[in-house]
Amino acid sequence: MRSLRRPRLLAPFLLVPLMAGCFASGGGGDSASGDGGDGDGARLRVALAFPPAENLSPYGADATLLSRLGVTEGLTALDANGSAAPALAESWRRDGEKTWEFTLRDATFQDGSDVTPAAVAASLTRATGAEPAPAALSGVTLSAEAGGDRVVRITTTEPDPVLPLRLSSPSLAILSKDAYGKGNRVDPVGHATGPFELTKVNGATSASLDRFDDYWGGRAQASGIDARFIADGTARANALRTGELDIAEAVPVAQAASLDERNRRDTATTRTTSLLLNASSGTFKDAGLRAAARAALDTSVFAKDVYEGYADAGAGVYGPAVTWAEGKRTAPVGRAAAKKPGSGDTLTLATYDNRPELPEVAQVVKQQWEKAGFTVKLTVREYSRLEGDALDGKFDAFVLARNTLLDTGDPVAVLAGDYTCDGGFNIAQLCDKGVDRAVADAEKTADTAKRQDAAMAAEARILGSDAVVPLVHQRVITGVADSVQGVILDPYERTLVGTGTRR
Amino acid sequence: MRQRVATLVWRVVLAGVLVGGVGLLPWLTRTDPAYTVLKARSAEREPTPEVLADIRRQLGIDGGPLHVLGGWLGGLVRGDAGQSWISGSDVLPAVLQALGASLLLMGAALLVAVLTAGLICLRTLRLGARRRLGGRRSGGSGSAVLASLPEFLVASVLATVVGVQWGWLPALGWYGPQWTVLPALALGLPAGAVLGRLLDDLLPGAFGEPWALAAAARGLTGRSVARQALRRCVPALLPNLGLFVVGLTGGAVAVEQVFDIPGLGRTTLEAALAQDLPVLQAGTLALVLLAALATGATRLAARLLTGPALRDGALSSLHRPAPPAGGLLPLLYGAVLLAVVGFGLARDPLALDTGERLRGPSLAHPFGTDALGRDLLARVGHGALDTLLLAAAISAAALLAGVLLGLVPRVSAPLVDTVNAVPPVLVALLVTAVAGSGTTTPALAVGAVAWAPLAAHTSSLLRQERATLHITATKGLGAGRVHLLRYELLPAVLPPVLRHALLRLPGVALALASLGFLGLGAQPPSPEWGLLLAENQPYAERAPWAVLAPAAVLALLGALAVGAAGGLRRPARRRPSRAVTEGAAGSGQRPVEAAAKEPAGAR
Repeated sequence: MRSLRRPRLLAPFLLVPLMAGCFASGGGGDSASGDGGDGDGARLRVALAFPPAENLSPYGADATLLSRLGVTEGLTALDANGSAAPALAESWRRDGEKTWEFTLRDATFQDGSDVTPAAVAASLTRATGAEPAPAALSGVTLSAEAGGDRVVRITTTEPDPVLPLRLSSPSLAILSKDAYGKGNRVDPVGHATGPFELTKVNGATSASLDRFDDYWGGRAQASGIDARFIADGTARANALRTGELDIAEAVPVAQAASLDERNRRDTATTRTTSLLLNASSGTFKDAGLRAAARAALDTSVFAKDVYEGYADAGAGVYGPAVTWAEGKRTAPVGRAAAKKPGSGDTLTLATYDNRPELPEVAQVVKQQWEKAGFTVKLTVREYSRLEGDALDGKFDAFVLARNTLLDTGDPVAVLAGDYTCDGGFNIAQLCDKGVDRAVADAEKTADTAKRQDAAMAAEARILGSDAVVPLVHQRVITGVADSVQGVILDPYERTLVGTGTRR
Repeated sequence: MRQRVATLVWRVVLAGVLVGGVGLLPWLTRTDPAYTVLKARSAEREPTPEVLADIRRQLGIDGGPLHVLGGWLGGLVRGDAGQSWISGSDVLPAVLQALGASLLLMGAALLVAVLTAGLICLRTLRLGARRRLGGRRSGGSGSAVLASLPEFLVASVLATVVGVQWGWLPALGWYGPQWTVLPALALGLPAGAVLGRLLDDLLPGAFGEPWALAAAARGLTGRSVARQALRRCVPALLPNLGLFVVGLTGGAVAVEQVFDIPGLGRTTLEAALAQDLPVLQAGTLALVLLAALATGATRLAARLLTGPALRDGALSSLHRPAPPAGGLLPLLYGAVLLAVVGFGLARDPLALDTGERLRGPSLAHPFGTDALGRDLLARVGHGALDTLLLAAAISAAALLAGVLLGLVPRVSAPLVDTVNAVPPVLVALLVTAVAGSGTTTPALAVGAVAWAPLAAHTSSLLRQERATLHITATKGLGAGRVHLLRYELLPAVLPPVLRHALLRLPGVALALASLGFLGLGAQPPSPEWGLLLAENQPYAERAPWAVLAPAAVLALLGALAVGAAGGLRRPARRRPSRAVTEGAAGSGQRPVEAAAKEPAGAR
């Protein structure tokens, strides 16, 4: 009996080779092999929070992922002040109302071909034809053509004063001809211009990148990147602590305290958490009650306690990451006098749990309002199950974390989208002639400084309507291992790893 | 043969209804798939009509649900499960890869579960083998506590303590055998505790059967007696084991998230939320097929273990000897629970003070405070009523449905498999589609799944019970079907199933809370227990008391339920005192049972 039984017990081991196929590939063990050097040449192990949703198509949210890993670049980039800076284009000039000319620098694609005006024009033309169109191009029709040896001419049907800003959007990254296959599929692997080249993508789990030696901005210090996509914030923080990672993106506030102080870097971002009050129906149709609701809030506790200091107290639509905003801010215009809340009406306050701090913020708002005499009912859902109702104006109030510098890089865009009668993202349901006029004025202004002034004038009107109460300006925490240097802490969250990043 | 064909047809019909239901989900819930797909691709994108129209055209869903479903089914026949609506890549390879990872995880978890169950039964097995079981009260508080621990909590604790602080095993990823240990423990421990409890519940009955006495008298070793006792009891659990196999494959979302495992649970969850129908349909179909396979395998195993005896009606009833009264322990648990609730009720569960956040236990806040500075004792106390009432009501309904459906296994068995194979979030979405998002929807959604293991348990016990000699004898005495059911079958089957239902009560409470993100169930700032656990989970490492308090009361509830259920036995009839020590259940059956070891052909 015994001798018969033993092989039976061993039988499961025949499955071992099969098991190998059931593990995730890449990322883990072999990444340590690059450790050898004394900093230079070591591969970086990076965890990103959002896995690729669309096979790394540059026209959707994956575009940001590509630009954060240093794979793609556009003609322009954003500098610290939020103005357009040279990237693949060395310089540009406006030629008449509707045309801009961009002069390209001497660069090569990762597949070896040159960055020519024709290639750039073709790449931009593909972006305009994408379905759905990249967010940076919504409402704009542009055509690009080669205009000389090193010049690309871009013409828009309507005058577009912010075109250079627009072209800094990661979704308008320039890829070589071979990236565009049949149909809509765009493959950035090996076809971009950045300092790092994608070599392998393992679905939504991980990706490998190698240094691109012919990068126009000089060879990157790290020899490559092993990127992993880890959706759970606690898991990212844990991986950094065990030394499995060099850089962990977006560590949740709740986990920040578990990292050593020298391992966490916080940066102001353009993301503002605000309370939007429904100005066209329900209780808050009354501007006096909106003023009362604003006055009832003690916004200091949000940044200090709920965000544990990883946020700045809400000052306006734009936070400190928009560097010019603070100096140009004017007092809110046209605020109504606060009324006493009537009894009986129940306010519906909604928020979503994709960012764990938001339900906490909403609960604090609820309590503060209840102290002031409002009755509040809270709704918390997953974002995609909530946004539609919010846009339809089904809630009296909504706690929203919103990036105030959208894909266009234009500060006025968020005002037009969120607070004008025709705005596509007007959760506050605000429709105010004064606001609309101020925003329209800002949109028409071409000169950067004047445009900023006009944007701040519009912001003052919007804040004056009390349809939005800025609560905090978020700071993002990046987990960085001890030995790592040169991580790019970008307030626009468009870059993370660059040529100078190494460990 | 005809029965088998009918069952097969029923199974296929169910799978078809399910896949069809998934295919119609957006139209049933009136949630535009173009919208959810857009949000899954890029949460910040404004859903303008032009963008939505582009996506609709891209997905080819302007033709309506039937067109889409037909196209998908047509492709399936050719072995093409379509392209994901979100990423546009082929569904089949992605789903198969996720299934592989999940199956491996499930296998490892099952191993842990079996070992855990073995450890739980070890004491009973040893005592039984030495025939010293009589008169001992089974323990079980420990296993009941283990069974009521939420997986995500076990997972977070293991990842932080073993993975990060001790650094013994990798805390994250899925790259090789050592990465499987912690996730398998997180999944396997609670599952093993449930299985162990159920097995431990049956074992004394097996040891009490006459063959065990005869075997001991003949000088067989305690070991082989114990082995036979296991063999006698395991078939009743196999259907539940099968359910765990499928449930752990498709429903391990929390563990997959904590350890970043690219498994099927997360894949289907994301697909369900984004209404990525091709992925969701393929994932569901894979799980349904797996369920059918698992059922087939468990049935085969059951037949191998007790086949001849089942066929010939040569089993005896597995009634454990009456234990001594429940003892003081359940009373103690009850008193502690009552005290916590009582003290908690006197405090304010909603008063928040962000300056006092995450304070440790102190005189002012005996259980500490949560992330918003609320008193946890108050929240636990106030949450008790809602949580317990609702969970108890759902459990009672599930018990009723489970027993009734368990009585008609031919109808219910495929239904059990199918329901169990569907990922919980999908069940919730389907229930919402049918019932709307009213106040009863979360209860319905949880109840729709909760009955399945109970029905499986009922029907497997029933199958064994029907094959017992005392049923044959009662039949021979002229009893009708109703009489049999009322006086023989139900009294034998109900107590273990009831104990099973109680064991799962904490799980029901947790399942309720897990639907919150769909906007179903309790909403903050309600102090419902599941919600307490969920909202304090991010702080588990910094403020362990914030999760320990709700987890502890839940565990206490589990121990109390099991302890109290210990008193629930088959009503004793004509029970001589000697029978207790020797372990037979009722003297009326003894002469018949003595014949049980005779060759079955004697009948």
